[in-house]
Amino acid sequence: MVEKRLIIEMGMGNDMYGQDYTKAAIRAVESAIRRSSLPLFEGLGLSHDVMRVAVTIGVQDPAGVDTAAVAATLPRGRAQVTATPGGQNVTNPGTGQTIVIATAAVEAFFPDQSELWRLLPAPAKTDGAPG
Amino acid sequence: MTKTRILTEFGIGSSLRRQDYTEAAARAVRDALWRNSINAAELFGFAKEDMILDVEIGVHRPEAVDIAEIAKIFPYGQPTITVTHGGLDIARPEANPGSGKPTVIANAAISVSFAMEPADG
Repeated sequence: MVEKRLIIEMGMGNDMYGQDYTKAAIRAVESAIRRSSLPLFEGLGLSHDVMRVAVTIGVQDPAGVDTAAVAATLPRGRAQVTATPGGQNVTNPGTGQTIVIATAAVEAFFPDQSELWRLLPAPAKTDGAPG
Repeated sequence: MTKTRILTEFGIGSSLRRQDYTEAAARAVRDALWRNSINAAELFGFAKEDMILDVEIGVHRPEAVDIAEIAKIFPYGQPTITVTHGGLDIARPEANPGSGKPTVIANAAISVSFAMEPADG
């Protein structure tokens, strides 16, 4: 089955004091997915299971991300989480304290819908008002 | 089935010094548009121009938003822009008056719909 990507959502999250890459990653995913809504499930009668969700986390230490814990926070769809080198660590030279920043990309894939739907013809203007 | 909403993107924008409600609204719209990348038309085999864009903006002074300026941000499609009372204005602290103008925050929600029906309907 051909899949198409409907949306890629982007986000950033951090952990200020604990250098916890998983916490930063979960916050990055949260910031990505809460910036949009996908009402097409209700509008088209689609099951949430048809959506595949590919989550990519960029952090300076990918091995420090518990990807299963991140996947468990995705509310809908079939989520796969991978961690890769990226994000940003920012160290305050005065205190030595390091803030870890995670970058998240959340991609939602759906089975191709182009055979299943068609556009309605454009309605004729009846009110005479300029467009 | 007629107009069907596929997705909605959210954003916020601000004007820190000038109390410019149009600029705050424009930044909110850009925040919503560039925080996500969408391929809504491609999923259904439609053209980008078939997208129906409903843009809802909330600011404390809706009458101060220049809707024509907001419309220029959209690279394609015909956005329908509505501005209502919302967002947030935060007064400057009296101990630190600066310009005296409030910090302005605008909310934006951009919804993509198609006028569509099942192909076998």
